Amino acid sequence: MEITLALAALKVVGYGLAAIGPGIGIGIATYGLCTSAARQPEMKGQLMGYFFIGAAMSEALALLGLVLFFIG
Amino acid sequence: MGEALNMFVEEAQGIAAHFDPQTVFSIGGSNVTQYVIWLFIALAVTFIVILVAAKKLKLVPTNKFVNMVEYGYDFVNKNVAEDVIGNGFKKHVPFLATLFFFILICNFLSLIPGFKTATGAISCTWALSVISFVYFIVYGIKANGLGGYIASLAPSGVSGPLKPVIWFLELFSTVIRVLTLAVRLYGNMLAGHMMLAIFAIATTCFLQVSLFSGSMDLIAGLPSIAWFLLLVLIYALECLVAFIQAFVFAILSASYIGGAVHPH
Repeated sequence: MEITLALAALKVVGYGLAAIGPGIGIGIATYGLCTSAARQPEMKGQLMGYFFIGAAMSEALALLGLVLFFIG
Repeated sequence: MGEALNMFVEEAQGIAAHFDPQTVFSIGGSNVTQYVIWLFIALAVTFIVILVAAKKLKLVPTNKFVNMVEYGYDFVNKNVAEDVIGNGFKKHVPFLATLFFFILICNFLSLIPGFKTATGAISCTWALSVISFVYFIVYGIKANGLGGYIASLAPSGVSGPLKPVIWFLELFSTVIRVLTLAVRLYGNMLAGHMMLAIFAIATTCFLQVSLFSGSMDLIAGLPSIAWFLLLVLIYALECLVAFIQAFVFAILSASYIGGAVHPH
């Protein structure tokens, strides 16, 4: 019983740890998009593509943590 | 207060079980869960919306409904396909619009109380992401040839011994796309609905304790007003999330297609 509870709690902690890096990463990506779109608004469409690729890539790590939460 | 909190904790612990797929009936050994039924309802709604709009198409639409659907299609055409794919985007617009409209209608249906979303079940989102994955790989192979596509995973300009390493990393990030597309949509929809359910349970628990626990204790029911306001706020957030997730799914599919068709 206690081991099960500890495992469940550790899964939540693990997901929380997995979400730290991607959170910072997506923040930096959004910052970059905002500043560069403010500088050159005509580039915004192209930048959005790069932004989504980058955000998806860093978010992948958090999603892997979520998957481990379900299967681990 | 304490009584209501205990009740809330007790109720909230059993909440995950409500989101598990439950078999409604079986056909020939395969089980049909409630999510499958909602999938078909969303499919029917999508068909009706698109067919009704397509029937009344005019050069200058005067009908409000047709205008709305056309705006959505134009949104996919301009903001998703043209901006992200670039050259030769016209071919991919119908696919992206299908994905966008279907996921949007799935997500929005679930915002009606009592309804469920098919995208809240992992099997449905897996199917959608596998469709998108196969689509962009097939178009990448069509545009560059099989060898060309495999080589184009590593960006040009990388040379020497670094090239296989980068290629392997890019291969990993390509294969993992099928997982992330599925889990992103599923996780967002499931977590959002769980949050809505938790706030709704909190509202009812405090209200129930204040009104039906023998003595009328209105002070104990006051937190339920705050819970309800939070519920409304979260509901508004969920409306936004429902749209954003459909948009993100479509735009990520578009950028994967763009990356496969025009390698850097």
